[in-house]
Amino acid sequence: MASLTIKNAVKRYGSVEVLKGVDIDLQDGEFLVLLGASGCGKSTLLNMIAGLETVTEGEIMIGDRLINDVHPKDRDIAMVFQSYALYPNMTVGRNISFGLEMRGVPKVEREAAVLEVAKMLQMDHLLDRKPAQLSGGQRQRVAMGRALVRRPEVFLFDEPLSNLDAKLRLEMRTEIKRLHKRLNATMVYVTHDQIEALTLADRIAILKDGEVQQLASPAEIYDQPVNMFVAGLVGSPPMNFISSTVTRTDTGYGAEISVRANDGDQPVLLDLSDHPTDLSTHVGRKIVVGLRPEAITQSGHSTGSTTQSFACDIDVTEATGADTLCVLNWNGKEVMARVSSGYAQIIEGTMDFAVDMSRASLFDPETEMRLG
Amino acid sequence: MSEQTTFVPAQTRSAVWMRLLLWAVLIVFAIWFLLPAYVVVGTSLKELEEIRGGSLLSLPHELNFWAWKHAWSEACIGVTCTGLEPYFWNSVKMAIPAVTLSTLLGALTGYALTKWQFKGANMVFALILFGCFVPFQVVILPMAQTLGIIGITNTVYGLILVHSVYGLAFTTLFFRNYYVTIPDELVRAATIDGAGFFTIFRRIILPLSPPIIVVSVIWQFTQIWNDFLFGASFTTGGAQPIMVAMNNLVNTTTGVKQYNVDMAAALITAAPTIFVYIVAGRYFVRGLTAGSVKG
Ligand SMILES: Nc1ncnc2c1ncn2[C@@H]1O[C@H](COP(=O)(O)OP(=O)(O)OP(=O)(O)O)[C@@H](O)[C@H]1O
Ligand SMILES: [Mg+2]
Repeated sequence: MASLTIKNAVKRYGSVEVLKGVDIDLQDGEFLVLLGASGCGKSTLLNMIAGLETVTEGEIMIGDRLINDVHPKDRDIAMVFQSYALYPNMTVGRNISFGLEMRGVPKVEREAAVLEVAKMLQMDHLLDRKPAQLSGGQRQRVAMGRALVRRPEVFLFDEPLSNLDAKLRLEMRTEIKRLHKRLNATMVYVTHDQIEALTLADRIAILKDGEVQQLASPAEIYDQPVNMFVAGLVGSPPMNFISSTVTRTDTGYGAEISVRANDGDQPVLLDLSDHPTDLSTHVGRKIVVGLRPEAITQSGHSTGSTTQSFACDIDVTEATGADTLCVLNWNGKEVMARVSSGYAQIIEGTMDFAVDMSRASLFDPETEMRLG
Repeated sequence: MSEQTTFVPAQTRSAVWMRLLLWAVLIVFAIWFLLPAYVVVGTSLKELEEIRGGSLLSLPHELNFWAWKHAWSEACIGVTCTGLEPYFWNSVKMAIPAVTLSTLLGALTGYALTKWQFKGANMVFALILFGCFVPFQVVILPMAQTLGIIGITNTVYGLILVHSVYGLAFTTLFFRNYYVTIPDELVRAATIDGAGFFTIFRRIILPLSPPIIVVSVIWQFTQIWNDFLFGASFTTGGAQPIMVAMNNLVNTTTGVKQYNVDMAAALITAAPTIFVYIVAGRYFVRGLTAGSVKG
C-alpha cells in the first residue's frame, strides 16, 4: 500500500515544455483521475509515473521512495493502455502471467494467480484463446487482469475504456469502481470523459496545457470550479456564463441582465446578496455569473434559499429522458435550463423559471478566476 | 444455369471477344517466356549427338540424365574434374549462415531503431539505407583488405562475412519498415512487465515477424546464392561458390562444347533459388505488402 507524491514535475521535449510543474499528492488507496483535453499532457504525466518517460525536473515518489531513476519494473506499478497492448502471439493466460514469469515466480504459483484473477474478472473460460479471438470488452478484461495479477502498489490507466462502445464502457466503469473498492489500491486514471471522471474519482486533477488547474473532489470541482476553464470542462451541458456588471441594491448586490420574455427583452436583477465574497470593490465592474443548467428550473420546483423567479421565453426544448433541457435567451445569448420532463413537453413559449442564485459561481472576466 | 444465358446482349458479346483476345495474348507471352526454359531443360536431357543433329526445339528422344550426372560429379572445372558437387556445398555452407546472420542482425537493428528510439536513430537509419545504394564494386577493395587483415581470405567464412555485412542494409530496411507498424505500447507494456531489450525481442517481436523473415530470407538467399562478383573476387580454386564454378565449367572447353552438360549445370545451379521461391514465394508478396495494409 502506498501513497504517490508528485512534486513540481516538469517535462520538456527539447525546448517544448509539455508539463510545467505539476504538484499532486495522493493518499494511499485514493483514486485520482487526470482530466483534460487532448494534448494537455495527461499521458505524459502517467508515463512519467510509470517510468516510461524521464522526469526533466521535479520528484516522483511512491511511499517515501524517490523513483525518478527507478526502472519501470521495479516501481511496483501496473499500467493498462488505451490500445490494451496485449501480446498477440500469447494466449490470454500467458499474457496475464508474463509479468510474473519475468519476475521469476514459479510456475505453480503463476497458474494459481492467473486463475484467481481470471475468476475475479469472469474470464476463466478464455484463458487458452489468443487476443485476436476476443471481443473488445474481453480484451479490456485481459488488460485489466494483466495489471491485477501482480498486485502492484499503484495502478495506472491510460484511457482504458475509450475503445469500447457506450454500454460496455458503462459496465467496465462500474467494474473498475468495484475493483478499486475491493483492492483498496492507489489508482491514477487518465480520461477526457468528464462523466467517467466524476463517477470514478476520489479526486480529480484538471490539466490544461501542462498545468494543474484544480485538484479536488468531484463535488468541489463541480460546485466550486476555480476558473472558467474548469467550469466549462466539467458538466454536460456545460455551465452557462452570463456577462453582467455588479450593482448595489437595497439588500446587497445584484447583476442586471436582460431576459427574453413575452417576445420582448425584460430587465432582471440577479440577486448576489448571498454570495460569500465581499463585492463592494466590484461595484460597477464587469463580472461573469456562472449558472449550471440545473440551477435554472421550473418555478416552484427549486428549493434554494435565494431563489428568484421570472418569466422566460423558451426557444427550443431537448428531451433527455429524465429531464428536459430548455434553451432560453439571456443577454442575447443561449442559456440552458434543466426542467422536469413533464413540464416543457407541453409548454413552448413563455414559462416561469426559478433561478437558485446560491449555486451561482462568480468569475472575473479578465482573469477568468473564481471570486470567493 | 438459367434460361437467360441463351440471350447474349451485344455488350456482353464484345466482352467475350475481349476476354478471348486477352487469353490469346497471355498464352503467346507465356510461350514466349517459357521457351528458353524449355530449351534449357530439353537440351540438358539430350545426348550430344542428338543436339548436333536435331532442332533446338525438338523433344528429346528419351530422358537421358547423363549430362546431369556428369555436371554434378565428373565435369572438369579448370584442371580439377570433380563436377559441381563440392562447389554446390560451398555455396550451401556460405548461404545458410550468411542468410541467417544477416536476417537476424537486420531484425535486431530494425527493432532497436524503431522501438528504442535513441538520439540520432533516424540519422543511423539514413546511413544504413544509404548502404543499399552502394554498388558491389565499390566495396571490393576495402573488403579484400579487411579479409586479409582478419585472415579469412579465400574461405567460406570470408564470403559469409562479406554477404552478411552487405546484406545488412537491406534486411534492416525490411525489418525497420515492418516494425514501425507494431504498436510501441506492446514494448512499453512488456517493459513494465519486467522484460528487457532481448527478452522483448525474443518473446514478443520475433514471434510477430514471420512474414518479414520470409521476405528477408528469400531476398538474401537469392542475392547470396546468385552472387558472382564477391565469389570471384575473394575466392579461388576449391573454395569457390557454385556460381563461379559453373561459369568456369562452361568456359572450360576441351574439344567439343558439351551443351547438354552446360545446361544441366545451369539448372543445378539455379535449383535452390527456384526451390526457395516455390516453398516460400506466396508468403513473399504477402510479407512485402504486410506493412502497408493494416490487419
Ligand atoms: N516525443 C515527443 N516530442 C515532442 N512533443 C511530444 C512528445 N510526446 C508528446 N509530446 C507533446 O506533449 C503534449 C502532451 O502529450 P500527451 O500524449 O501527454 O497528451 P494527452 O493529454 O495524453 O492527449 P490525448 O488525450 O490525446 O491522449 C502534446 O502536445 C504532444 O504533442
Ligand atoms: Mg493520451
